[in-house]
Parts: sequence; structure tokens; C-alpha cells
Amino acid sequence: MKYAPLLLLLTVAVLVALPWLVSGSMLNAAVQMLIAALFAMAFGLLCGQAGLLSFGHAAYFGVGAFAAVHAMNAFGGEGLLPTPLLPLVGGATGLVSGLLAGYFSTKRTGVYFAMITLALAELLHALAPHLKTVFGGEAGVSSFRMPAWGIGFGSLNDVYFLTLVWTLLCIGLLYLFSKTPLGRLALGLRENAHRLRFLGYNTHALGTLIFAVSAMFAGVAGALQSMNIEAANYVVLESHISTAVVLNSFIGGVRVFLGPAIGGAVMTFFGHVTSDLTRVWLLYQGIIFVLVMMFLPRGIVGELVERLRSPGSEGFAGTLGTTLMRLASLAVAAFGGVFLVEFLQRFLSAEYRAGVQEGIWPNITLFSHDWAPLSVLPWGFGFGLFGLGIALVVMVNRRVAARKEAQA
Amino acid sequence: MDQILFALLNGTIYGLLLFMVSAGLTLIFGMMGVLNFAHASFYMLGAYFAYTLQPLTGFWLAIILAPVLVMGVGILVERFILRHVHEHGHAHELLVTFGLSVVIAEMIKMVYGKFAVDYRVPAELNFAAFTLSGIDYPFYRLFMGGIAVVMFIAIYLLLTKTRVGIVVRSAIYRPQMVEALGHNVPMVFMGVFGIGAALAGLAGAVAGAFYTTNPNMALELGVMVFVVVVVGGLGSMGGAMAASLLIGITNSLAVGSDFRIADLLTWIGMGGWAEEIGGMLTMRMSSLAATLPFFIMLLVLVLRPSGLMGEKE
Repeated sequence: MKYAPLLLLLTVAVLVALPWLVSGSMLNAAVQMLIAALFAMAFGLLCGQAGLLSFGHAAYFGVGAFAAVHAMNAFGGEGLLPTPLLPLVGGATGLVSGLLAGYFSTKRTGVYFAMITLALAELLHALAPHLKTVFGGEAGVSSFRMPAWGIGFGSLNDVYFLTLVWTLLCIGLLYLFSKTPLGRLALGLRENAHRLRFLGYNTHALGTLIFAVSAMFAGVAGALQSMNIEAANYVVLESHISTAVVLNSFIGGVRVFLGPAIGGAVMTFFGHVTSDLTRVWLLYQGIIFVLVMMFLPRGIVGELVERLRSPGSEGFAGTLGTTLMRLASLAVAAFGGVFLVEFLQRFLSAEYRAGVQEGIWPNITLFSHDWAPLSVLPWGFGFGLFGLGIALVVMVNRRVAARKEAQA
Repeated sequence: MDQILFALLNGTIYGLLLFMVSAGLTLIFGMMGVLNFAHASFYMLGAYFAYTLQPLTGFWLAIILAPVLVMGVGILVERFILRHVHEHGHAHELLVTFGLSVVIAEMIKMVYGKFAVDYRVPAELNFAAFTLSGIDYPFYRLFMGGIAVVMFIAIYLLLTKTRVGIVVRSAIYRPQMVEALGHNVPMVFMGVFGIGAALAGLAGAVAGAFYTTNPNMALELGVMVFVVVVVGGLGSMGGAMAASLLIGITNSLAVGSDFRIADLLTWIGMGGWAEEIGGMLTMRMSSLAATLPFFIMLLVLVLRPSGLMGEKE
């Protein structure tokens, strides 16, 4: 891992140069990715380090988003603070709401904690439409970014750099936080809360504090989001935002420091790229999550770090070989699976069903090929590839196991 | 008076429905230590399966077959997914079932579309059970309540009066000892998981026809069930029953109430102040009804963190 600082510097350099490298639409996606990464990091602090699984983090993200919009509108549009400092408002609101919610939810641990966070988020979501002055009802609250410090904040580039600076700053702060005594105690809370209590620590207060810090960074992410789109609507309080951050963070891996950020950024990127190609991206996201949980319990980044640290008995080249073979077989299975899902989605879609008349089933175009839905061909193709891929994975696994047996 | 009677009856029946779902959740948790996040998804699957089967088999067969299908899904989930991640701990199992709930909801959206489907109470059951001061009371509500009560009695008898029940109950407390005595504990776990799923599926098949059947129903009911479980104390059947009824009844009483916090403050001379503040203080109880269970939960957390009938941690 001696290359880690170098890799980090390189990433930051690429991020800074990004506006000159990619198109506007991609830059817009990059803003979303940065926000998702920061939100996932805030979640990762609570879930990965303190071991408290929150299913309702959208609440603090949303509170931050609304606080920022109201701060932008304050003093007749003048703004409470200069535009670059507005995320502070989101962070402060997140911190306060986190203290309040954390007090209740950390009264219990484990699965109870998870259920309470979900219920608190749903409470806010159910309440929001009735509080029109705060949440703006159906239409939401909109605003616009004022120029400040000689920067216009009108162009996408300005917004990108604002988001980038805040995201990097917050991730840096989160890293430093993990090194403070409070950050170390978070690990203690995850590993053995009983023992912490015996040592004289107040675990309830500790949990509340860590919850509040996590909610604060979620609030900053929310503020960046509403500053980016110059509006906030109570849709940001909906459960799918909470769901997405859980899925992204765990796909990345919550126990490695940058795991959630990478998970959040990569999954948001794929969501953006595939949004024109498929209508069921969320289904893929869910399936990827379940598969990662089943076969790579440390998350993708976590597993990578682990592999790099201890290459195992076969040496680096051997591991690389089997990994490549596994990936190739998985790709075959994934292609078959995606084909089946997409074919089924098109087959079941309302537009297609409207086109069916008197027993005539029109062909379905998929991957620039026309397939007759009632023939065995598309189904055989999809299931065949899927089965072939799985069989190949099983074969590779058996060979690896046999080799290990022979060595032992 | 009649209004209140209706509200009480509605609340009791909604509470019984909540109990049907939370009973399975509690049973599974007590036995395997797994909080099955996908439990409410089984409820939704029950409704959609019954909706699909109804035109083919008729209503009665549909509400019998749908839970059986859901039980099959539950058994597959337990056997091939949960058992696989068991070694990584309970938090991991919770996460996997969370992922499954996402996958199931997205699949439902893919197959049936994003909007509610037309799953209705069959004509032969759609009549008034009785009429009070000119308002008909639908028979189907009583039917739902009846099914819940019958299920409750059947489970109670199964658990307390039969040999299977003894094995199941002892497997909850001392799984290793039961295994040492020669019982197939993994098989028992699979069975309990399947039965729990079937119960949720039955609740969905029956209730889906009366309420709406849409892809959000799992989340809406799931959150309520979690509130019930936190209020009642996880793992306690009696607690689940009490909390379900409490939440069902307060919910339906609140829906029919015009009460405002501002009115209460008028009694102590602060009505004007409350009107000025507005917001929460001037909201009618009826529009707050959906949030009331959450406030009950917060209250219980402060006063009695282990739940009404839960054991101390």
C-alpha cells in the first residue's frame, strides 16, 4: 500500500483537471458523483466505524438541502452567508437534527437502531407535505446562487469546483475525525459496546455524538445537492435516497476508509450512463448489492484491498490469473442475465402489450437484433449464456480448490 | 358515538392485520435472530400473486394458493441466500434481506408497472355486514379480522399443543441442545421462515383486495410493522399483539378527529399564540394520523426503551 498517497494525489489532480477533459453532461454527472461520495462517506462513518446501521439517512441529507435553500433565500435573496459558505448552514442543521434524532435512535442498538432510523425518516417524510412554509408543499422551494468573492457561480464549472472543494475538505475532515479520540471510540462502540461501558464511557452520549457528526456531513452533502439544482423538494426525503446510500456504501465496502466514497461515485456513474439504456437500473443495483453481500462481504473495495495486502499462497501472478478467469466467466453470466432482464422488461412493458393484437406478437429489438418473443431463441440465448457463465465460475472455483488441496 | 364505534372496529381490524405480518417477523426473529427486512415484501408478493391467480382460479383458491407460493419463495430465500451469509453475522443477514426487499419491489414494478393494479374484493363478499345510523359497515373488513383471529388461534395451538410446537419453541431457546437430541434444526428454521412468509403472504392476499395493491405497499406496511415491533418489544408475541392493536386503533381514531393542539392551548389561554405560530400546532389530527405511530414509538423509547413487553437488553 505504499503507492496509496501517490494514487490519491493522482486522483485529486484528475478531479481538478476534469472540466477540461470531459463534456458538460459528464461534468454534471461528476457533480452528482461527488455529492453521492460525500453522502456515502457520512453514512460510512456511522455504519462502518461505529457499526450503527442507519436506514434513514435521507432525512439529514434532506434537512441540509432545505436549510441551504432557505439560507440562499434569506434577506430577500441576499443569502445568509456568501454562496461558497452555504454548505455550512446545511452542516449545522444536519448536526442539530442529528443530535435530536441520535438521542432517540441510539437508545437502542443493533436491529432496533436500524428500525428507529427508518421510522424517523418516514416520520419526517410523512410530516413534510403538511409543513408548507418549511418544505414548500408539492412544488418545493427554489432559489438561485448569488455571485460571491468575485465568482459568478452561474456556470457548471463554478458549481463543480465548489462541490469538489467541499467534498475533498469534508472527506479530509472525516479522515482526521477518525484519528481523534472520539473517532477511535467509534470503533470501540462497534467492536464491544459492553466493554466501553465497563471502562466508564457513556455509550449513549457517544452514539449520539457520532450520529450527529455523520448527520452533519450528510447535511453538507444535501446542501451541495440543493445548491447544484437550485431547488429542494420533499422528494429528497423519500426512502429511495436512504436506500441508495446503503446500497452504494456497502457495495464499495464500509470498513475501508474510502470504500463508501468509491462505491457512491461508481454506482452514481453507472446510474448516469445507463439511464438512457435501461429502465431497471435500480433492479441491477439491488441485485449487485445482494451478490456483493453474499460473495464479497467486505465490499468490492474492501476485497481488493485485502487481496493486495495478502496475495495468498499462489503468488501475485496466480491470483491475477484466477481472478481474470473468474471475471471473464462472470461477464458471460452477467451478459446472459442482463439480456434476460432487458428482454423481459421490454416484453412486459405497457407499450409492448399495447402493440399486441389478436395473437400477433411483434418482434422485440434488443442489442440491435430482432427477437421473436414466442420462439425459444431469445430465452435459450439468455438462459444458455447465464448457465454457461455460472458453470465456468464453478469450474474455476473447483480448480482453485483442487490446487489448494494438492498444495496442502 | 357510532363514529367512534366504527373507528374502534376499523382500528382493531387494521391492528389484527398488522399483527398477522408482525407475528411472522417476531417468530422469525425470536428463532433465528434475523430481522427479516423483506418480510413486508412477502406481504406485497402475496397480494400480487393473488391478483394474478384470481382470474384463473377464482378468489378463494387464489387466497389459498398465493400464501403457498410466497412460502415457496420464503423457503428458497432462507435455503439459498440467508443460510449462505449466516456466518457473517446478523447485521449482514439484515442487509441481505434489505437488498432483497429492493430487488422484489423493483421486480414487481417491472412486471406489473409502477401504479396500483385493479385487485378488488369479489362481488359475492362485497356487501354490508350491518348498518348503524345509516352507514353500511363492509362485511369484508370483518372477514379480514376473522381470518387474522383464526390464524392467531391456529398458530397458538400449533405452538403450545403439538409436538412440532415443542420442538420449535425449544429450538428458539436452545438450538444446540435440540440438535443434539436429534432434531433437524436447520429444517425447523426453514419451516418457520416459510410459515412466517406464508402468514405475511396471506395477509397480503386478503388485505390487498381491500386496500390498494401497489409497489409501495411493502414499504408503507413495513415501516408500520417495524414501529409495532419496537413498541411491542421484538420477540414477544404478546407485545406484538398489544402494539398492533394500540397503533391500529389510535391511527383510525386520529383519522376521524378534528382535534388540533392549538385548541388544547386555547384552554390555558395560549390559543392566539398557537394560531400565530401555525405549523404543527394548527394541523388537524386527521392529517397527522399517519405520523402518530411514530410519536408513540418515540414516547415508548424514552419511557421504556425495551418496548411494552420486551425483555431488557
